[in-house]
Amino acid sequence: MNVMRVLPLQFHMDPLGAVFAVLTLIIFISSGVFGIDYMKGAKNRKSFGLFFVLSMLTEIALCAASNLVTFYMCYELLTVLSMPLVIHERTKEAKMAALKYLFFSLFGAYGALFGIYNLSRFASTLNFVQGGSISAEVFAADRGLLLAVAMALIAGFGVKAGMWPMHAWLPTAHPIAPSPASSALSACIVKAGVLGILRSIWYVYGADHLKGTWVQTVFIILTLITVFMGSMLAFKEPVLKKRLAYSTVSQVSYILFGLAVSFGAVDPYAAGGVSAHVSDAMTGAVLHVLAHGFIKAALFLIAGAIIHHTGATRVEDMRGIGLKMPVTMTCYTIVSLGLIGIPPTGGFVSKWYLATGAIATDIPVFMYLGPAVLLVSALLTAGYLLPLMITGFFPGAEYREKIKGQDIKCEPGPLMTIPIATLTLLSLLIGLFPEPVIALIRMIFV
Amino acid sequence: MDMVRNIPFFSIMLAMFSGPVCSVLPGKAARVVNAAVITFIMGMSAVLVCILNISGESFVYMMGHFPAPWGNEIRAGVLEAWMAMFFCVVMLLSVLGGIKKLFDEVVESKHNLYYVLVGLMLSSLLALVYTNDLFTAYVFVEINTISACGLIMIRENGRTIEAAVRYMVMSLIGSAMILLGICMLYDITGHLLMSNIKESVAAMTAGGNYPEPLLFTIALMSVGLAIKCALFPFHAWLPDAYGYSTVSSAAILSSLVSKGYIFLLIKIIYRVIGFEIYGDSGVIDVLFFFGLAGMIFGSVSAIRENDIRRMIAYSSVAQIGYIFMGIGMGTEFGMVASIFHMLSHASTKSLLFISAIGLTDVSDGSRRFEPLTGSAYRNKTAGLAFAVGSLSMVGVPLFSGFISKLLFAEAAVSLRYRMIPVLVVLGISTILNAIYFMKTVIRIYTPVENDSYPHVYLKDVPLYSVVLVAFVTLNVILGVLSDPIVELIRKGLAMFS
Amino acid sequence: MILATVLLPILSGVTVSLIRWKEKRQMHICTLAFTVLTSILVWVMILTPGAEEFTLLTFPGDLSIAFRMDGLSMVFSGMISLLWPLATLYSFEYMEHEEREKIFFLFYTMTYGVTLGIALAANILTMYFFYELLTIVTVPLVMHTLTRKAILASRKYMYYSLGGAAFAFLGMIFIISFGSTITFRLGGVLDMARVGTRTNALLLIYVFAFMGFGVKAAVCPFNSWLPDAGVAPTPVTALLHAVAVVKSGAFAIIRLTFYLFGTEFLKGTWAQYVVMTVTIVTIVYGCARAVKEPHIKRRLAYSTISNLSYILFGVTLMTPFGLVAALTHMIMHAVMKICSFFCAGAVICKAEREYVYELDGLGYSMPQTFGIFTVSSLALMGVPGLAGFVSKWNLANAAIDTGMPLAYAGVAALLVSAILTAIYMMTIVVRAFFPKDDYDTRVNLGIKDPGIRMLLPLYLFVIAMVILGFNNSFITDFFISIAG
Repeated sequence: MNVMRVLPLQFHMDPLGAVFAVLTLIIFISSGVFGIDYMKGAKNRKSFGLFFVLSMLTEIALCAASNLVTFYMCYELLTVLSMPLVIHERTKEAKMAALKYLFFSLFGAYGALFGIYNLSRFASTLNFVQGGSISAEVFAADRGLLLAVAMALIAGFGVKAGMWPMHAWLPTAHPIAPSPASSALSACIVKAGVLGILRSIWYVYGADHLKGTWVQTVFIILTLITVFMGSMLAFKEPVLKKRLAYSTVSQVSYILFGLAVSFGAVDPYAAGGVSAHVSDAMTGAVLHVLAHGFIKAALFLIAGAIIHHTGATRVEDMRGIGLKMPVTMTCYTIVSLGLIGIPPTGGFVSKWYLATGAIATDIPVFMYLGPAVLLVSALLTAGYLLPLMITGFFPGAEYREKIKGQDIKCEPGPLMTIPIATLTLLSLLIGLFPEPVIALIRMIFV
Repeated sequence: MDMVRNIPFFSIMLAMFSGPVCSVLPGKAARVVNAAVITFIMGMSAVLVCILNISGESFVYMMGHFPAPWGNEIRAGVLEAWMAMFFCVVMLLSVLGGIKKLFDEVVESKHNLYYVLVGLMLSSLLALVYTNDLFTAYVFVEINTISACGLIMIRENGRTIEAAVRYMVMSLIGSAMILLGICMLYDITGHLLMSNIKESVAAMTAGGNYPEPLLFTIALMSVGLAIKCALFPFHAWLPDAYGYSTVSSAAILSSLVSKGYIFLLIKIIYRVIGFEIYGDSGVIDVLFFFGLAGMIFGSVSAIRENDIRRMIAYSSVAQIGYIFMGIGMGTEFGMVASIFHMLSHASTKSLLFISAIGLTDVSDGSRRFEPLTGSAYRNKTAGLAFAVGSLSMVGVPLFSGFISKLLFAEAAVSLRYRMIPVLVVLGISTILNAIYFMKTVIRIYTPVENDSYPHVYLKDVPLYSVVLVAFVTLNVILGVLSDPIVELIRKGLAMFS
Repeated sequence: MILATVLLPILSGVTVSLIRWKEKRQMHICTLAFTVLTSILVWVMILTPGAEEFTLLTFPGDLSIAFRMDGLSMVFSGMISLLWPLATLYSFEYMEHEEREKIFFLFYTMTYGVTLGIALAANILTMYFFYELLTIVTVPLVMHTLTRKAILASRKYMYYSLGGAAFAFLGMIFIISFGSTITFRLGGVLDMARVGTRTNALLLIYVFAFMGFGVKAAVCPFNSWLPDAGVAPTPVTALLHAVAVVKSGAFAIIRLTFYLFGTEFLKGTWAQYVVMTVTIVTIVYGCARAVKEPHIKRRLAYSTISNLSYILFGVTLMTPFGLVAALTHMIMHAVMKICSFFCAGAVICKAEREYVYELDGLGYSMPQTFGIFTVSSLALMGVPGLAGFVSKWNLANAAIDTGMPLAYAGVAALLVSAILTAIYMMTIVVRAFFPKDDYDTRVNLGIKDPGIRMLLPLYLFVIAMVILGFNNSFITDFFISIAG
């Protein structure tokens, strides 16, 4: 009888958790500093601050969770505690968006819970163990059911990661939150979904079991659809923050794609002694967690700065912004290039590993389709990020005429620009010096 | 010991003679005489029960000196004595309970006549209980009918006269059928004494003679008695008769009259035709079916009623249905359940009628439900008694109704095909009973804002309250101490044939 | 002694109501004292196991009214006896704004005795008797406010309950006829020799009895009495219709399934499929109706309907693990739901708001109340760390353990219900703490948190929910020992 008597609450910070925790800390602190300036004079500051800090602490706890029940508890708490961030403005739209966020996330959590219930019965333990705790015999005995369980886990955690078709909450919730919160949500909190898939599949279920199954195929298809669709919708979106939200939808699915092709994949470069579980795609995925985190956080903070100082929310209203806030927009350029995937930025390295890793896995069809979609998406990314830079710095003769003689500089104060600059710098660093991170990743999956 | 053997005869004679005696006395004295007579007979019957219980056998008493097969005979066993005693108890309490209303509703000069009728009724009931030959049975059936009519009619208003006429017509049809049946039976068997007839009938069936006439006889007698008991669908006369007559009459009629006829039917089944033979004929199935139907239709009609006394009257139709269902089961256990239910229903129905009158009295005499709201607070004893009666009808444990239900259900379990219909109808009937009885109980206990109606307290109507308490006690005794009573019934039934 | 616990509340209730009290406080103290005394007696009996049976009356055919304290009785009576004094304390403050307190406390205390009678019943006749009595003593409580709605609701309650009891009665008859004894015994009392070939008839009767007792446990389609009964004063709805009455129905079904018919006889039969389906449908139905319901107490009533079927689902799994899971949820849900209802009652009492859309911003006027309500919402949703998660976990695991496909449907229903629960509870919380921009603060002027008599039970419940959420081994181990 598998009766739960005591809630198995256990925390232990392992290297994987540490990676995510460090990301969380950096993002939340940067956004928090930004927020001190941004939220000056806003109402309900105290409640915002309270839930902001609580969300950070919960997410760090989530990274440190050492078994699936603890993870799930932090996951649910994180959803509940971050909801007030979305509803902050107290308008009708904010409330609708917050409820949508809450219910989608909980829906996904309960879907994952179905998987967790089953795991508790088939896996020998729910503690996180490298390679999972379901033996081959157990798996073979209940194969059909267990594959369904895996799909439930992936789909459930995927809701928070904005995977199609459960992504609809993201473009509504992220933009409507105040920018510091949007940045934390997009850069950090969605990664909780990624971590969920990582922990439940690699550390409890056993990723090897899923190699070549229909689950893997479906997962890959979903992620590729999301990658493409997210970019397309971002391309067509006129409101900046919403454009960035769609971008998140797309980019996070890059990460998920990397995870999807890595089930049971073997590292072609592995020498003896290094684990065979780490493929290039996996490396790329984790790298992208970091790279995208820094980049998207920076982007949202920049958007926030723009809104705060000019009140413009739509891209078409932001003509000449580069002239008004040169430092900020320079950072924008750098991170955009990073997101598109131009060397030597962080985004380039991660996408490189993703693409090569996909090819190396030898999965029929997708080993080529995947990189192709990634490439198309990169083009679209350029399409949706560059115009702002271009019209920002090169607004056209008309505009220059209009503003001749005026001092239009409205560069935000240091409390805003320093966080943005820091994040930009980090995204560059990870591109220039990826080796330590890659080595760390390889070490994690030993 | 010999003196004891005279008890049945004495009971009947005493009751019969109290009639003429009361007719010459003024009202008050007549009342005293009547009560005294009933009490005395009750005492005698109690003694008889004890003695017969101990000795374990029944005896036969020849009346007059005409030898068999034409003479009259009385037979007394445990069951008969017990029924006699019980009937006396209920009759006494019913009469005492409704005395005040009697004074209000009946003309002064006719009071003593009421007691004449009561005496006659009692004598006929006792005779039906004790008789051992068909001729006597028929005579007293007729006496019963006449006295019943009188009891209805004594409250003179248009409705009661109409009810009495209706009752008379239907009842006489029933009597005619019974007479026809008796005649035919005499024709083919040549006997009038029950035990002799039984032997003949047994011989006849064994020999295969007169199968159709026998069946016809059985059918006639059963249907005739059923009409007089108001078994569905012959119940049309009942609501008016019970609804509009004075309350003692209603109580006596509903509790005792029908029971007398049913007891006669049971006697015919056991001692005239023979249990197996009766069971083989199809008549028992017809009774069973009508019993079930009566259970449902009686309750359904009760739900639609807006007059409390008519509602209780329709409830009687349902309860008679229960009894016939029990008889119709064709097993001994079913019969035991039916007889117990006769006792239970007798005590409960009187209780309901008498408490209902208390409630209507404090509601300006109106019997419709609207004015009855909150009446339980105006007359606390009546309200409580009515609630107890309702709970017993629904079948809440602690009260007699529950034991009846229990016995019926247990009897049903041993049947092959009829089990499910019985159980389902029992269940549905409980729900229906709950609906109209509990609705009424809730209504009478719903307090009213400005209570302009008069309140009645214990000290105002001491006799009435005592009667109600006695009825409630009777009900609870049947409900709680049913073990010995059921044993008694079983024993008596074994002695019966 | 066992009889004393049943009779004491009944008799004390009657005496307290008959005495003319000089001061209301005295009456309150006396009532509370008797309630606490009874609870102490119950716990003394629980902690000193003796298992003596006490027979009160006998009836024809080996039937009797008898009491006994076995493992399952300990669970139910223990739970009731802990909750009743707290609820009585709460109702003192609540009833200050209602009238006719004496009658109320008369029946309230009597119900305690009757419920204990059900818990301590040693055989089915006793349980049936007290079951019918429970209906009778609780009807006046539902009817208390005497509005037209209350009278109609009490009528409906009475019809449904008595009707259900009629069908449960059939089950009792069959046990009497086909059982070797009528006393409860784990594993069942059916005498298979007597049953012979009539298995199908018995299964049919089991379903009848299940549905009959299920009326009180609010299974579909006999559950519409429960939301209507929300018109009663909150202490009644909270304790009776979230704890005592409905849990009595569940308790009776547990007795019916495990201790009378026996799971060996029932497992794998069509009857099991039928009752399991009924519970699964009810789980989803209750939650679905709750989402759309604007009246707070009715919403919570629908939630109760759904949660009760969680318990019954565990019972219909018909395994020891299922029973353990069901009992766990019985305890957890009692605490969570009574807490929610008491919060709602505080709102109704102090702010006179009954509908969800009237609650805007009230969280700032009554922070303690709504804070506690949030905790109970999270618990009902199944957030780990609070009471609800563990019981749902156990239920799901018990279901998966059986390997029945229908059981998986049950797990899916549990999760669907969880998200629906989140929706209908969190919308209240969000409204209270995050009202729309344009809400008028003046609307909530003068509304404050309730006094200590109401708050103390609430805080105790919160502590209980947290403790049970983290470590419930002390009760789960006990359940495992009685489930065998």
